[in-house]
Parts: sequence; structure tokens; C-alpha cells
Amino acid sequence: MQRRTFLKSTVAGAAVAGFPLPLRAQPKTIKIAAIHCATGPLAEPGQACRLAAQIAADHVNAAGGIKSMGGAKLDLLIGDTQTKADVARAEAERLINAGAQMLMGTFNSGDTAAIVPVAQQRRVPFLVDISAADPITANVARAVKEGQQKVQYVYRNFPTGTLFGQRAVQYFTEIFKEAGVSPKRVVLMHCNDLFGTNQSKGFQAAHKAANPSWEIVEVIPWPEPPSDLSTEVSRAKAAKPDIIAPITRPASALLLLPELRKQRVESMGIVGPGSPGLYEAGQLTVLKDDLEHVMTSIPWPNFKHPRAQKLAEEYLRRSGGKMLDTNSGYSYDGIHVIADVLERAKSTEPDALVDALKKTSYKDTLMVSSGPVMFNEIGDNPNASPAMVQILKQKPVAVWPKEHALAKFVFPRPKA
Amino acid sequence: MAEGARTGQVRVPAPQGLILDPVLVAQALVSGLLFGGVYSLMAIGLTLIFGVMRVVNFAHGDLMVWAMYLAWLGATRFGVDPYAGFVIAAALLFVAGFVIQRQLVDRIVDAPHEMQILLMLGIALVLENGALVAFGPEPQRVRTPLTQAAVWLGPVFIDVGRLVTFVVAVALTLALSLFLYRSDAGRQMRAVADNGYGARVIGADVRRISALAFAVGAACVGAAGALVAPLLPFQPSTGLQLSVTSFNIVIIGGMGSLLGAFVGGLLVSVAESLGAVFLNPSMKELVSFSLLVVILLVRPAGLFGGRTV
Repeated sequence: MQRRTFLKSTVAGAAVAGFPLPLRAQPKTIKIAAIHCATGPLAEPGQACRLAAQIAADHVNAAGGIKSMGGAKLDLLIGDTQTKADVARAEAERLINAGAQMLMGTFNSGDTAAIVPVAQQRRVPFLVDISAADPITANVARAVKEGQQKVQYVYRNFPTGTLFGQRAVQYFTEIFKEAGVSPKRVVLMHCNDLFGTNQSKGFQAAHKAANPSWEIVEVIPWPEPPSDLSTEVSRAKAAKPDIIAPITRPASALLLLPELRKQRVESMGIVGPGSPGLYEAGQLTVLKDDLEHVMTSIPWPNFKHPRAQKLAEEYLRRSGGKMLDTNSGYSYDGIHVIADVLERAKSTEPDALVDALKKTSYKDTLMVSSGPVMFNEIGDNPNASPAMVQILKQKPVAVWPKEHALAKFVFPRPKA
Repeated sequence: MAEGARTGQVRVPAPQGLILDPVLVAQALVSGLLFGGVYSLMAIGLTLIFGVMRVVNFAHGDLMVWAMYLAWLGATRFGVDPYAGFVIAAALLFVAGFVIQRQLVDRIVDAPHEMQILLMLGIALVLENGALVAFGPEPQRVRTPLTQAAVWLGPVFIDVGRLVTFVVAVALTLALSLFLYRSDAGRQMRAVADNGYGARVIGADVRRISALAFAVGAACVGAAGALVAPLLPFQPSTGLQLSVTSFNIVIIGGMGSLLGAFVGGLLVSVAESLGAVFLNPSMKELVSFSLLVVILLVRPAGLFGGRTV
């Protein structure tokens, strides 16, 4: 090597080493706001969502980030709604100001609904990972259709209350038939927040449309969180129910189920049209036998998917012993859907992201579903689907539909 | 959640015939009356502290949540039944109340109301988030054999857990009345409540008496929390709801009146229980808060207003 060549290469090498930024393409980071109800009455599911989102971001980053954008890493900005709609709105504003390029959240329909106008006004795409109330997306879709707004920035990868209702009525009818029983009188009991009211309406509308052989003979709402449900349960008992269909929140389930037992409400079973409170690890610890054989129609991980099993083990470890369920599963999927959207959009420009969102066809979902994740004209995923889960030997197990069932259901509920 | 009210057209249930079911009405009356004992217990501590110091304790519900967690810890870790362990919770909260009064509240007793509100809200926030860190977000409920026990009188059942709570609420109200009217410390408390300046002139140690009143109030909250823990699910955020219910009861009964807190608790509970029978149960809280509005219009000082501790 000549002296001049040596000098040239050394100087060039030193320059590269000394001034790396302009010469080497640094992987960017993409800021994603994960806003959940990590404190307040719905803190337990909110914290599950937050942890699962973090695990998903770790997985995406470990697999090389967003490859179409030079391996850009996902940077989760964490927000807490405190289970309050006004705080949810403020958190969304704060995280957008901190540079969030997409939003995800929140678990609680009331909080999610409060973030929707922020996402629309600030033009930041918002993927709803969990929240069932129909108006969250439907109101925006209508505003866009009627020309009041140009673009829809809000999309949801979770069943709507309407879809919950349809599946619940379908599963109720199929399970009754499969069990060879014909209950007639269903008493619907529900919390009266946005979620509970919407779920109840969805169930009643689906019942009316399907016109099955069983009737909803009484609808009993309660203020959430309730301090006492004894009179509501007395009312349910007076209606002589064959089935109690509860739509609960974790706190109200802790009141309702022991009260049903205490007042000796006889029925063939407790079968929920879909709500939290009836399957979580914390609820099982407190309610024990009161939850045994209780069924509820909820979105559930597809444990026949090999990655779901692996994720469940990691989640168990990182959560300190909790089970992968509806909430952690959908938030985990949410981040992967966002990664898929970014990969295809090749940009963080809002309208490019919306275009990519509309063309989504994400097949690798870990949740029970009837097809790939996609978004219809309202912005909802029509393939998001619940499964009927039953508590068997103190563990929630998918029991219906048959293709996703890991055990045979026990119905009618054996007498204690 | 406000959207729920706008979007939700909940079908009002109560088919014909059901609302006149005498068994259901009798059951609602019994359940409401017994649960009123729970409400009364919740409100007594609040009214005592206000009666003596004129400080509105916004941390009331959060102190109660801590008492509930103490009962839960006692039951799950040490096997202490909350119906026996409420004395321990009361003792611990007595000490906590004394420290809070001496170290914090004492500094703002004579400050403008907004300063008092800020301090008490601050304490409430610290207590709530402290509970979140210490115990996690999951709702809890203490299970004891009594909570599942019921006595049936024909078709009407009596919840034994509530009956015990009701009896303790009556006993505690009587004991507090005796303390206030028969003991030296109680007489001094009433003197401070009546006229702090006058009490000081005749030699009462107002600082000590105030700390004692706060501590006794907190002890009542402790007893209430432990006794209510088997009946109400609780989590760190439950405090606000408990505070609001307690304020409602205390205002209906008359701020600062022990008898008012007791009767107010029964009234609110029976009103809510009957409301759940005759109306859509969603609206039962409307009944109790309507009661509050009526009382404020007709008798602004509350049912037993003026008869302070």
C-alpha cells in the first residue's frame, strides 16, 4: 500500500467513525401512543393492555423494526386515562404534542369515545385495540359520509356491541340445542355505563332479529360501580329466570355473583353476552366457586395458534403470573396491526397511514376470529369475533364454537 | 361514561304485576334498612370530624379504602375475621388520623376553605395511589362465612353480614354519643365544636382536642371500612364513590350531627332500595340525590342540622 493510499483510507475511515450520523443511515423511531386505563376502576384490564402492548413492541423491534422504513423501531409513549373521559382526552393531546404518530387504546369505551375527536382534529390515526361501543367508529364514519369530515382516522380491531350481541344470541341458541335443553326465560342484568348499555342494546337487538325460542323476560340495569345489588337480584329472582345473562365490570361481578348464590336464585346457568369481570385471574381468586361453570361470550386468544401458546408463557412471566386473555391478547395484536400498517405505508404521513389501514389484511392474528384483520366502511373489523368461554376447574377455557373449543362445555350448570 | 346517558335508551323493565309484588317490596325494605347500617357507619366518622373542626374531610373515602385493605390483609394473610378485626383497623386508623391531623391538617385549620380542600384532596390522591402501588388495581372483596349466611323468614331473607354491620352501627353511634356527652374528653370536644375561641379561653387544649376528634373520626372510618369490606367490592379508586355517598348522607342528616348521620344512612339506603324496585334500577341513585335536593330546599341545615356533636 502506498503511503498516499494509506493516508486516504485512514482519513476516510476516521471521518466515518468520527462523524457517523451524516454518513450512516440511523434507524428512525416511530412514536406510538398506547393509552389505557392503567389506574381507576378499570386499572386491572388497562394494565394488562399496557403490558401486552409493550411486549408486542419489543417483539416487533427485536424482529428488525419496520423494515420498509430502514428498520425504524417502535417507541411506545405510555398514557393513562385514569378511567376518566376528560383525562383520556388530555392524555391523547399530550402524547400527540410529544410526537405520537399513531394512537392505540383504551379498553374503556367512554375513554375511547373521548379520544376520537382529538384523533380527528389532529389528524393522527387511532387504532382502537379494545372498546365495543358502536358509536366510537360509527359516528365518525357517518360524519365522513355526510361530508362534515374529510377523512376517517379512527379504526377498531375489536368486536362491536352489535357483533357481540349477534354472536351471543347465536352461541346461546347453539349451546342450548347442543345440550338438549330449552330454557325459555332469560334475565339480562347489566351495568349502565356506555359499554354496558351498548352491549345490552346489541344483545336485545340481535335477539329481536333472530327471534329464538327463548325470551328476554326482564332487563335490569344498575349504576356502575354499584354499592349494593341485593334489590336487583331480588328482582331477577322474581322474574323466575332459566338463564341469568350478566354484563358486568370487575367490581360489579364481585357483588353480583355472591348475591345470586346468597339469594338462592335457581337457574340453568349464568351465561354472559360478553363483558369483563367473569374470567380474569383476580376475579377467579376472589370469586372462586361462584365463577365455576359461568360462561361468557368474549374475544379470546386462539390457543390453537402456536405463537399464542408461546406468548401466553412470556406474558405469564412478565405479568407476574397472569393469563393471556381478551385484553392482553387484543392489545398485543393491536401493535402488530400498527406495525403491519407502517410497513405497508412506508411513511408516517397521516393520510398514507389511513390508506394502508383501509387496505389491511393481517392474517397472523392470535385471537379467535373469522378471518384476517380488515376494516370495513365504518372502520370496524368484521372478522373480530368472540368465543364462548367457560370457567372449568377455575380456569377460563374456550368451549364454543366447536372449531375453537378446547373443552366440552358443562351446561346446565351442576347444582352446588 | 356520560355518553352512556345520551346513547343509551335503556328499556324500562318492570313488567306489569312485578312492581306490586309484596315480597319484592318487603325484601327491598329489609335489605335497604340493613344496608343503611353500612351507610350510617360510613358517614359517622365524616360528620364527627366536620362537627368538631369544620374541616370537610375529602380523604374520608380513601381512608376507608385503606381500612378495607387492612381488613383484607388481616383476613387473607393472618386469618383474622373482619367482624373481629375491625377493632384493630379502628386502632390503626386512630393513630393514622392523629398523625395526619397533627402533621398536616393542624396547619390549615384556620386557613381559607380552598386551602383545606386542596390539602384534603392531596391526601386523598396520595392515599389512592399509595393503595394502587401497595395492593395493585384488582378489585377485592373479603370473604367470610358470615357474608354468605342468610336467614329466611318465609320468602324474605335477612343477610346476616348486613345484620351484624347494622347492629355494630347502632352500637357505635350509641358509644360515640356516650363518649361525647358523658366523658371529659367528649365534653371538651363539644365545647370546641360549639366555640373554639371560648373553649381556649376556659383552658381547653384545642390542638389536642382537635387531633383527638380527627383520630376518633378516623377510627370510626377504620371500623366502618373493616366491617364493610365483606359487603362491598373495593379497589384503590373506590374512595371517591364512598366519599360522595358519605357526603350525601351527612348533608341529608345535617352536617356534624351523629344522629343525622345514622338516620341519613338508613334513609338513603331505603330510598335507593325502593327506587330499584319501583323505577329502573339505573335510576336508584337519582332517588337518593333527589332526596338531597329536596332536603336542601326544605331544610337546608339537614334533618338534624343544628344539633352538632
